[in-house]
Amino acid sequence: MTPASELSGDAFLLDLNGIRKHLGGRRVLDNVSLSVSPGELVVLLGPNGAGKTTLLGTACGRIAPDAGDARLSGGNPRRDVGVRQSLGFVPQQVALYPYLSVRENLEVFGRMMGVAKEALNARIEEALAWSGLEDRVGDRVDTLSGGMQRRLNIVASVLHKPTLVMLDEPTVGVDVNARERIHELLRRLRADGLGILLTTHDLLQATTLADRVVFLVAGQVRLEGAPDELIHQVFGEHKEITITLAELPGSDQHQRLADAGLSPVHDGRTWTGSVDHGYDGVADWNHRLADMNLHAAEIRVREPSLEGVFLRLTGEALVL
Amino acid sequence: MSLAIFRAMLLGLLRDRGALLMSFFLPAVFFVIMAEIFTATTGDSLNLKVAVLDEVESDASTRLLGALQDNGTLTMLPELGSSRDEVRAWVKSGVADIGLIIRADAEPLESAGGFGAAPLLVVVDPSRGVAEPMLTGQIRRAYFSSLPDVAMGNVVAELENQFLTLDDEQREEVDAGLIEMREDAAAGRDVGWSFEDLLARESVIGGESVNLVAYSAGAVAFMFLLFASVHGAVSLLEEEETGILDRVLAGPGGIGVLVNGKFLYVVGQGMVQVTVIFTVAWLVYGVDLPGHLGPWLVISLAASIACAGLAMLLATACATRRQAQTVANTVILVLSALGGSMVPRFLMPDVLKDLGWLTPNTWALEAYSGVFWRGESLLEVALPVALLAAAGILGWLAARMLAHRKAYGG
Repeated sequence: MTPASELSGDAFLLDLNGIRKHLGGRRVLDNVSLSVSPGELVVLLGPNGAGKTTLLGTACGRIAPDAGDARLSGGNPRRDVGVRQSLGFVPQQVALYPYLSVRENLEVFGRMMGVAKEALNARIEEALAWSGLEDRVGDRVDTLSGGMQRRLNIVASVLHKPTLVMLDEPTVGVDVNARERIHELLRRLRADGLGILLTTHDLLQATTLADRVVFLVAGQVRLEGAPDELIHQVFGEHKEITITLAELPGSDQHQRLADAGLSPVHDGRTWTGSVDHGYDGVADWNHRLADMNLHAAEIRVREPSLEGVFLRLTGEALVL
Repeated sequence: MSLAIFRAMLLGLLRDRGALLMSFFLPAVFFVIMAEIFTATTGDSLNLKVAVLDEVESDASTRLLGALQDNGTLTMLPELGSSRDEVRAWVKSGVADIGLIIRADAEPLESAGGFGAAPLLVVVDPSRGVAEPMLTGQIRRAYFSSLPDVAMGNVVAELENQFLTLDDEQREEVDAGLIEMREDAAAGRDVGWSFEDLLARESVIGGESVNLVAYSAGAVAFMFLLFASVHGAVSLLEEEETGILDRVLAGPGGIGVLVNGKFLYVVGQGMVQVTVIFTVAWLVYGVDLPGHLGPWLVISLAASIACAGLAMLLATACATRRQAQTVANTVILVLSALGGSMVPRFLMPDVLKDLGWLTPNTWALEAYSGVFWRGESLLEVALPVALLAAAGILGWLAARMLAHRKAYGG
């Protein structure tokens, strides 16, 4: 898929600056800035209620910010309706007509998104081949597997060749294989130069896919950067260790764990930090816990994760 | 355990205002409307509006009209004019339910014997068929209770005319009369004197059985048009629930694309539905659809637009599909009951009849009945047609505005 319009190399497809929004007396977005460039895949991470959906709504012009500026392909998505042609939005639900066939759905949504009648067939053939759905073209959508429906959900939003695609939880409820096929679709879109902004709860997905992750918590951007850089910044060459204790530590033990460089997660039974001896750190920590009169229910050493990054940089546990 | 389910169901009902409305409020409202209608139909409170023309202005005719005026179940409209055509026009237009003309060019009321034209001409509209037996019943009562001397005078005159022959010449006349009566009876013709000799009947329109079918075709078509339109329109809420709305709203067309597309679909669906009903009425019951094709097309289009616009407005005003269905059922049943889709408007008390004018059902029925029963031109039913179209277009515009406000926050 080739983007419909050519943008200058450094132009942002999406540029949100200082967005603030109150809904029902509650501050939902607080001075949020975020941008997406062509060929960039940005993952927006955050727990439920963090403001992700409101931010997407602002980005595509559905929600008017109380303050701040939203630019989509250089225009105001609320006022300049034409700029929305550059956007493909993939909702969290399978937003398709279940009683229509794959082709019929693509025809309907292609026309709705402004694809000319003459160009539609060629676009559909191209999209079907690209998404691996050509064998199911005549089948009703409600007979497709969950993974296929999810893929079609994406295809239906890019038939008009947008330059930016926003996806709200695109892999909810699909198995590992189907998720990998969706990741492959997204990588291909990125390779074609499209900018991609997706929200997810899946940290592994964010780590493997994202050029940049943005952590949104309680309406604020808490942390932002490339996953590898963030991980390297926090852990260096170290591994991440997570210790789940058999019992809650006392205040003295709590202090000793903190002094040893660990941070508590959730209720204080789980602690995380970095270890510099690789997987040998397990035995080392087993001894140190014994010295503190603590018993481990589980000690896990692994490659550092974004969850650990978030915890170490913000001091807060990321509950997704 | 069963009580736990009972409690869950009860709480669900109490917290669902739509269901509460449907379960308790709607039946009460509906009952009141239907009770009013049926009370009026079966009791003394059904007040017929009678257009009267007394061409004779004799003592007997004045007394008869006075007695009718006094009985309380008839409203004798003030003298409407001096011609029979005016009486016919008032009945045809529905201003009067029925007409009564006391004819000057007929037998006198005091000595009607069935040999000439009946003195009383009842002018009826078959779509209000029940008015005729009601009026004739009242005339019969007034005639015998208030004009006994006239009634008896007719009997005596009848006896004198036919039976009290004393001389030979008179005997021969009686014999001839009796032979004639026998021949009449043998030939199946009415013989002798009866109250009916006083009455003649005239319909303001022809093809009476067909007219009644045409009424029901219009009534049924419009009510189901409303139901089907709402069913089509609430798919908008379904699309909101499935995320299709989100996808479309992010595109260049926005919410307008959806609302317009659905409006057009619902109008088209309505046209097909009305066509099916009227085609059956034409093929099975002989309603003259081909003869009124042009006006029918315009009225049906206006009716479909009205239903589509109102349904779209309802769908956009409601938050969920369930709420929309609940409100729609309530609104459609009340509109249909008031508007004449369930019970002919003629049977309703005046208050409900007047309220009916606020419903699109009444506008549609007036337009259809104007064309199919009264033989009116499209121009003559322009007002109800214009009301239907205007309501539909206003509903559509309001739906667009509401949908836009919901989708984009104003």
